[in-house]
Amino acid sequence: MRKTGIFILCLLFIILLIFTAISAEKVFRFNWELPKAINQKEPQYRLVLITQDIDTPFWDKVGYAAQEQAKKEGVSLEVWGSYDNNKEDFLENLEIAIYSKVDGIIIQGLDTTKFKDLIKVKASFYGVPVITVVNDVPMSESLRRTYVGSDQYKAGRLIAGQLVSDMGSIGNVILMSDRIREYFQEQRLRGIQDVLKKYPNIQILNAETSESSEQIISTTQDMLNRMPDVDAIVAVNASIAGTMIQEISKRSQLERYHIYSFDDGPESLLLLEQGKLDAVIQQSPEMMGKLSVKLMTEWLNGETLPLDSSGYLTDIQILKAVDVQ
Amino acid sequence: MNKIQKKIWLLSTIVLVIMVAIWIALTYYNNKTQDQYNNILQRYLSMNEVTSSSQQIITDLNNYILNPTSDNLEQLGLSKKRILRAKDNVYELRNVENDFALTNYINLINSFIETTDRLLLFHAENETEASAKEFTEATRISNYISEMTLTLIGTEMKTYDRFYYGIIEQSVEMEKLGMWMLLLITLLLLLISYWFSLSITKPVHQLTQAANELSKGRFDLEVKVETNDEIAFLAKTFDRMRININKLILEIKHKAQLEQELQQNKILLQESQFRSLQSQINPHFLFNTLNTISKKAYLEGSEETSDLLVNVAGLLRYNLKQMDRSVTLRDEVVVLKQYMDIQKARFTDRLKLYMKIDESCLNVKIPALTLQPIIENAVIHAIEPRENGGTIWVRILDERDRITIEIEDDGMGMSEDKINQILNEQVVQTEGHSTGIGFSNVVKRLRLWYRYEEVIDIESTSGKGTKVILRIQMIRE
Repeated sequence: MRKTGIFILCLLFIILLIFTAISAEKVFRFNWELPKAINQKEPQYRLVLITQDIDTPFWDKVGYAAQEQAKKEGVSLEVWGSYDNNKEDFLENLEIAIYSKVDGIIIQGLDTTKFKDLIKVKASFYGVPVITVVNDVPMSESLRRTYVGSDQYKAGRLIAGQLVSDMGSIGNVILMSDRIREYFQEQRLRGIQDVLKKYPNIQILNAETSESSEQIISTTQDMLNRMPDVDAIVAVNASIAGTMIQEISKRSQLERYHIYSFDDGPESLLLLEQGKLDAVIQQSPEMMGKLSVKLMTEWLNGETLPLDSSGYLTDIQILKAVDVQ
Repeated sequence: MNKIQKKIWLLSTIVLVIMVAIWIALTYYNNKTQDQYNNILQRYLSMNEVTSSSQQIITDLNNYILNPTSDNLEQLGLSKKRILRAKDNVYELRNVENDFALTNYINLINSFIETTDRLLLFHAENETEASAKEFTEATRISNYISEMTLTLIGTEMKTYDRFYYGIIEQSVEMEKLGMWMLLLITLLLLLISYWFSLSITKPVHQLTQAANELSKGRFDLEVKVETNDEIAFLAKTFDRMRININKLILEIKHKAQLEQELQQNKILLQESQFRSLQSQINPHFLFNTLNTISKKAYLEGSEETSDLLVNVAGLLRYNLKQMDRSVTLRDEVVVLKQYMDIQKARFTDRLKLYMKIDESCLNVKIPALTLQPIIENAVIHAIEPRENGGTIWVRILDERDRITIEIEDDGMGMSEDKINQILNEQVVQTEGHSTGIGFSNVVKRLRLWYRYEEVIDIESTSGKGTKVILRIQMIRE
């Protein structure tokens, strides 16, 4: 009886002790996993990749490849971006990057005066090198170090060639482009027109629109009214393509038309998979991201001096809807 | 020795130690969390300080441009120092996760300061347009700083949310710990108190029981307390007292017994004195009567009867003397002759006595009544039962260093057992009508007197006779 009592008491004591110990261990562990303090003496190069269209498949690829390359090179890189072609946010990001005195800016070119001013004047003033990526601005106007991306003129030619081979040498073609005539767009247009010029039976209608969807819709309607027997449509600016196609499909069957665009729009690949686009120009976003970071690092390290100001061109190819489907 | 006091000290110390341990643990915990809180608050405050100081600079700049006095300039200088200090503080906040952002932030501040410096330069050179442009830029950068501060604080929040959750979890756990600890300490203290009180009351209880037993009169139970505190000491003294009392009681009992025995002995003594007086009266009367009868017989011409009566009276007188006196051998021989005369008168021709006595030995001391019982024994066993009678030889021989006394008969002898019985001083059943003193008595007395065993010896051959030999060492005077 007495022994049982003592045994029970001891057991109770041990149980309580265990619970107390567990509780105390939790309370006094202080395992908060705070970020480690920095102890790296050698400062890394800080690069920023700025885009207008973050979170699109195209730019995700660029960003991912750039990050990978940055890790490989041992530099730190952040991807900044604004959504939906928000130019103001984009320029603000650029300005902050310049004021923050990052070691290098890799940026999607924007062919506006303000952008060029920022790069030419402010970036130079603060000694920040700029590499344009994907979309170029002319070197003479921007003082960019170099350009990494597709040869847009060649891309234009390529898409035009595809158009001709699909449509034949007779037909009506609408070229939809942005009203803001950005450098890359001009290049593409030039490429397309240079090819189509050779076919006298092909009628070309150039249409310009601004970026708001209402404007795109009205422009599209206007175009179709003006050229009801159109055979092929090229969205020279890929961000127009989505809204444009939607509007066209309201009026008639999409299959009637040959519609082409480029892969750097937010919906390009989706539309291609759905068969709404016949073909797009596929660029090499991974290559762009990788190469831009590599070149910037090399330039910063003084390994490649000077950079080729005409640009480093990456591969392009035609991606047809039939191949994707 | 101060065991109970020690125990109380121990209990208090344990309680104290537990309390101190809890206090230390809680203080440590509080300090630790407080430090963390402060750290985080400091981070936010540092960042906020940058924003507010940059805005302050903008205000000061504006004031200075509008009203370029030295006071305003000084104010501007102060603000600049403030933002530099804030920048240094922010620099300390860098960690792996926010390195990039914070470096940008710091550079942004640098750009801001540079811009304001340029502004002041232009202002000093009265380049109004340039300075206005720089002011716009400074304002813009200040806005960027504010924005970035907010972003950074947001990021910090995100980075530290684990920490906040940790704190919440820990405070919950802390409550649980408090409960467990309360239970544990309660149990512990109860156990310790129980053990402690038991260790004090148990010996007291034992002692009480022992006292109870003692008061009931049981002095044989040992008072035992298995501790080594004051109670044990008390118990030890108590036990000693019990032993002493026990001893005293035993002594008293012993004395009482002795007294009782003494009393009995006194009664016995009185009785025996009375008996002895009684027995003294009869022999004297008998003795006087015998003398009277002897004289009467002589007067009537019966001389032989008269002699016999004189012998009886002599023998009687000798016997009445006390036994443990020493007499000479001569006295013994006289008594022997008197006894034998009486026996001759009884047995007439059946008894033949031959005596060979060396006169030179007769002065030797010898205990009284030693020879007479031996010869009486010979008469009883060798003469009485035989119709033809028998012969008894008494020889007292001087052998220089000792005297040998031999009393021999030609009776039927003694058995070996009987001889052993006699020599081993065992009481032999006496038969017939002796004068009262047995053979074994004689052996005892002789051995006591001479203090050696071989003073007496018995040789016997069955059917041929018995020979009793006394060997007395000579101590000539």
